[in-house]
Amino acid sequence: MDGNRKKRKGRTMVMTRRELLRSAGVSAAVGASTLGAVTSYAKTTQQSENVTETTDAYEQLTAEESRLLEAIADHLIPSDDTGPGALDANAVRYIDRALGGALSDSLDAYRAGLAAFQRYCRSSRGGDFMELPHNDRISALIDVETGAATGAGAGFVGSSAAFFSMVRAHVLQGTFGDPYYGGNENFVGWDLIGYPGVRTAVTENDQQRLEAGELRPYRRSAYGWEEFDKATVSAARKGLRHAD
Amino acid sequence: MRYKYLPQFAILIALMVLVLMSSSLGAQTAMHSIVVESPTMSSGETMPRVYTPDGRNLSPPLTWTNLPEGTREIAVICADFGAGNPPPWVHWIIYGIPATARGLPEGLPIQPGQVMPDDVAGAIQGHNGWRRPYYRGPAPPRGTPHLYHFTVYALDEELGLGPRLTREDLLEAMEGHIIGRGELVPVYERFGSPE
Repeated sequence: MDGNRKKRKGRTMVMTRRELLRSAGVSAAVGASTLGAVTSYAKTTQQSENVTETTDAYEQLTAEESRLLEAIADHLIPSDDTGPGALDANAVRYIDRALGGALSDSLDAYRAGLAAFQRYCRSSRGGDFMELPHNDRISALIDVETGAATGAGAGFVGSSAAFFSMVRAHVLQGTFGDPYYGGNENFVGWDLIGYPGVRTAVTENDQQRLEAGELRPYRRSAYGWEEFDKATVSAARKGLRHAD
Repeated sequence: MRYKYLPQFAILIALMVLVLMSSSLGAQTAMHSIVVESPTMSSGETMPRVYTPDGRNLSPPLTWTNLPEGTREIAVICADFGAGNPPPWVHWIIYGIPATARGLPEGLPIQPGQVMPDDVAGAIQGHNGWRRPYYRGPAPPRGTPHLYHFTVYALDEELGLGPRLTREDLLEAMEGHIIGRGELVPVYERFGSPE
């Protein structure tokens, strides 16, 4: 994937991936994520005939809300020939878990915003977001991002731009944050940006190998290191409520 | 008498001033007038929703006729002079349009990878008020009609401009090259109670 990461071709989105990453200060988010989302990865496996389908059981978002949020996330950081995207990282699972913990104050904003966004797509483009042609989906997202959707009668609370900004920030966190919190599955976000993993020390030799693209990344959560354990994490591991 | 010819002299001076003024006015009004129209919009009439964020927010189709002789390139700016701080708020900039083009089709690209239609191949969309390189339509506050000036400029030279120009950049680049100008000014208003 590293070799293919340099230039973006083909599918496009509201912002380019480069713009998205640059504006978000991803490296800071990766190294210093302090969100306290509970990490009870509730996977359910359904078997039907010869097909095994694995789905995430969302805890806070309804099925309709999560489908819409997944579709939005897929447009913000799509999976394409430059690498995996937000869905591969399971960013929406991260958001769902966080809405039951550290981001619980945002749950109402998500409910209202997602409902308003769907109403906006129906009134302006004549259908649910997922049913629209790709260009109309991009166009609708741009209108929400710029705040132009605010006065269209869809019922956004405040500016539609505030809703977009919130979703975008959380999708970034879910894609590039520590996997401990439920996103960045299989470290796809860190691999995507070439993050070498959490390290307690970086030697000169490590630095040179990193710059040469030869340093093998640590694929390990920060909380997989005893040095980084904290009381709240320990408490969570013991089944106590996360206090962040 | 020393002032015998003063009235005649005064009349002569007044005539000269008039001639100078008329030639000066003539120079100002010499700008060639381009006829700008649209199959779906008219000046003073309400823009269809499809060209606004209340609809699909497509760029509207425009046509132009009566381009001045010597036109080498065309540029279009859409601006709302009743918005922006300072005004105007810019909705669309497109330049580098070939002189052979007779208009712009509906729904020009909003994504970087999409190519321009053949008729306007080579045209570049500059940065609007949202700093985006594509058309974004009217979204005025509810209950306030706004005018949207679609201004077409005929230029005497191919300017070879690069991407990401703002309205100010474009106007500066076009200075001294504008040989024709025309406008279409539709209206848009959002109705209903504020959200």
